[in-house]
Amino acid sequence: MVTFVSRRLASGVVMLVAISFLTYTLLFFSGTNIARNILGDLATEEQIALKEAELGLDQPLFARFFGWAGSAITGDLGRSWFGSETVAQALTNRLPVTLTLMIVSIVLVAIVATLLGMAAAVKRGWIDRTVQVAAVIGDAIPGFVLAIILVSIFAIQLGWFPAISSIGPGVGADAWIASMTLPVIAIVINYVTSSAQQIRSAVLKQLERDYVRTLRSRGIGEREILFKHVLRSAAPAGLTVLSLQFVGLLGGVVILEQIFALPGMGALAVNATTIGDIPIVMGVVLYTVVIVIIVNLVVDIVNGWLNPKVRVS
Amino acid sequence: MKFGHYTKAAALVVGASLVLAGCAASAPAENTGNTEAPRGGTLTIGAVQDVASWDPGQAHVGHLLQPYQAPYDTLILREPDGKLSPMLATEWEYNEDSTALTVDLRTDVTFSDGAEFNAEAVKANLEHFKGANGRQAAQLSSLESVEVVDADTVTINLAEPDPSFTYFLSQAAGFMGSPESLGTEEIKQTPVGSGPYVIDPAGTTPGSQYTFTAREDYWNPDLQKFDKIVFKVLTDATARLNALISGQVDITLLDQRNVAQAEGAGKELSANQADWTGLFLLDRDGKLNPALGDVRVRQAINFAIDRETMLEEIQLGRGTATTQVFGPKSGAYVDELDEEYPYDPKKAKALLKEAGYESGLEITLPVFTGIEAQSAMLVQQFADVGITLKLETIPPANLQSELVSGKYAMVYFFQMQADPWVNIKGIIGEAAFYNAFKTTTPELEELIEAVRFGGEDSAELAQEVNKYVVENAWFAPIYRLDQLVLIDPTKITSTPTSQQAVPSIYNIAPAK
Repeated sequence: MVTFVSRRLASGVVMLVAISFLTYTLLFFSGTNIARNILGDLATEEQIALKEAELGLDQPLFARFFGWAGSAITGDLGRSWFGSETVAQALTNRLPVTLTLMIVSIVLVAIVATLLGMAAAVKRGWIDRTVQVAAVIGDAIPGFVLAIILVSIFAIQLGWFPAISSIGPGVGADAWIASMTLPVIAIVINYVTSSAQQIRSAVLKQLERDYVRTLRSRGIGEREILFKHVLRSAAPAGLTVLSLQFVGLLGGVVILEQIFALPGMGALAVNATTIGDIPIVMGVVLYTVVIVIIVNLVVDIVNGWLNPKVRVS
Repeated sequence: MKFGHYTKAAALVVGASLVLAGCAASAPAENTGNTEAPRGGTLTIGAVQDVASWDPGQAHVGHLLQPYQAPYDTLILREPDGKLSPMLATEWEYNEDSTALTVDLRTDVTFSDGAEFNAEAVKANLEHFKGANGRQAAQLSSLESVEVVDADTVTINLAEPDPSFTYFLSQAAGFMGSPESLGTEEIKQTPVGSGPYVIDPAGTTPGSQYTFTAREDYWNPDLQKFDKIVFKVLTDATARLNALISGQVDITLLDQRNVAQAEGAGKELSANQADWTGLFLLDRDGKLNPALGDVRVRQAINFAIDRETMLEEIQLGRGTATTQVFGPKSGAYVDELDEEYPYDPKKAKALLKEAGYESGLEITLPVFTGIEAQSAMLVQQFADVGITLKLETIPPANLQSELVSGKYAMVYFFQMQADPWVNIKGIIGEAAFYNAFKTTTPELEELIEAVRFGGEDSAELAQEVNKYVVENAWFAPIYRLDQLVLIDPTKITSTPTSQQAVPSIYNIAPAK
């Protein structure tokens, strides 16, 4: 297990370096007029040159990248070109909002999808058909359309929840819960059906296996067979879907955070990209890659624990 | 790819909003009891942009004037009609050749850290602003030195006359911070000024929300209309609409497609005009596209555009068709110039024929996200007179620089109708950023020099520049856009400030 984890970590580091360099290169070639963007139309050429020197934009690509990477290794991600915060501050302030939104949503998706998927596989009939149809619809409706519908009904018409987030410094748990409810519901509706569908097929496949028949013939209760044996074997498929969805959510929350004005990473990333705030964009990329690596690692470990064969391969 | 995605997203948002418009138009909120109090309470502003840094050296204009006005006073106050009035400066006067501005200052003002406001503080601020090379550094390009005459007088020396200098002192360059704090790390997050409000760190998250409370013993309580001002940063238009309708913000800027829904929910439009949009016929010497070097072709383009229809279709009528690039309240505006190029395709064809383009003509127009409707209508209208518009998509990353890169003879863009001299320096003068081919004529140079040295009369002298560029068809303006500021009339009143995207905070007050 130790070799397995360290091998995974090593490849994670390689991925981190590769993605950082690629992103930096892409930004380097797209953001050539950043000083003009900061200083505006009326700025003189001297002012532009001064700003470029100040931001290090007059340096060649490699010098800039290694300068950035050198500081990043020591934990210094620099300072926003447009904002008042350091990159680390900006991300640390916003990460809790995004992670709360994602983790709460994905846990709910996991629970609801497992129950729905198993019910559909075991009971078949109308439940099965409903889950299958809902999977198609759930996939087709974008999360933000759901979000807008939810806001119109539950925030504006009924006034049960705030239309935009009231999360801020020092607010209590109630503000968090009130602000998170609608976006979480939007994500769960959007994601639950397709993972329920995956779990349904995985469970169906297991139910056809010989060991299930053997267990049944030994008189072991249906409930025990389902939750102890079938679910354990079907879980890897479900986990893989969930981990993919979690990674997909990193992009998916962007628009939701904008609509609900949640002070999270997604909104930060969009703004930074629009204005060309490279230090912030790089910070967001770095954090995102680390999150993806951690999620994949955790999924692999859980899969290995569920199914020893995975560890060997 | 990302852009296509957003366009689709935007289209869906608009569609869904329209569908939902009916059910969202619920009864307006009850009057919350501000009936007898003309002062006090909380003002919550839905801000379009985030404040980059609270350092006054990094101060910005446009949508970002409001947040800086809370902690910082400016030297000069700009009234809603654009008139400049005393604020921290009580009087100001130019010398004969308009190269030195002597400013008298108030003597009863302190900064929130206790420091005294005086001539030294003004010198420190102006020098800091110039040295900081911030987002509006260009405002002090002409500043040469600042001399302290006595405790409450400074003389500002300019390298050359700058008719917009006093206007800038009512804006970004005029914000005064406490000298000790200038350039420190702390001021980036905690503004220290002499202004009507002080920041409340407990209610502030950078990038999301900034809370200010009224400062006690402020020298001019008349400007302090509220006990508290909260800026919520809402970059998304749907979020701003939702926040306004649900009462979470009292004033915000919407786009034309959301206005009806907000009005249906009892909100009120408080519109003024700040921007114009239309074509910049950049290649006036015909270096890239010889046809555009002919004034008759440029005039034909102007006659070919059906401005009223475009305004109605694209802007839902929220704006005013125009053929000049100066705004009605700028002093350089000439009423009759709007009659110069009425929609007249026949005349356009005749002019093209005269110029030798009877058999047709092709012009490339760069297009970007947000002007799809405009470019489609222009293609049609141009085709009607025999001009083929070839559309070429350009990436958004460096949009402005791309437009003036010299690759395009004609571009479509949006531009602020600012102070006349700012306009001249920005889009008309030989060195102007938007004068991509650096075209000029001795006649125009002379008119511009007259404005530069015009002193008090410079705005009026700019009318001549206006006439010149309209007659020579340097541009093909289409319409001025209404700034769609919406307010909750049960809670506040608001007076638009001319040529400003959003009203100054002094012009927003609790509802009677």
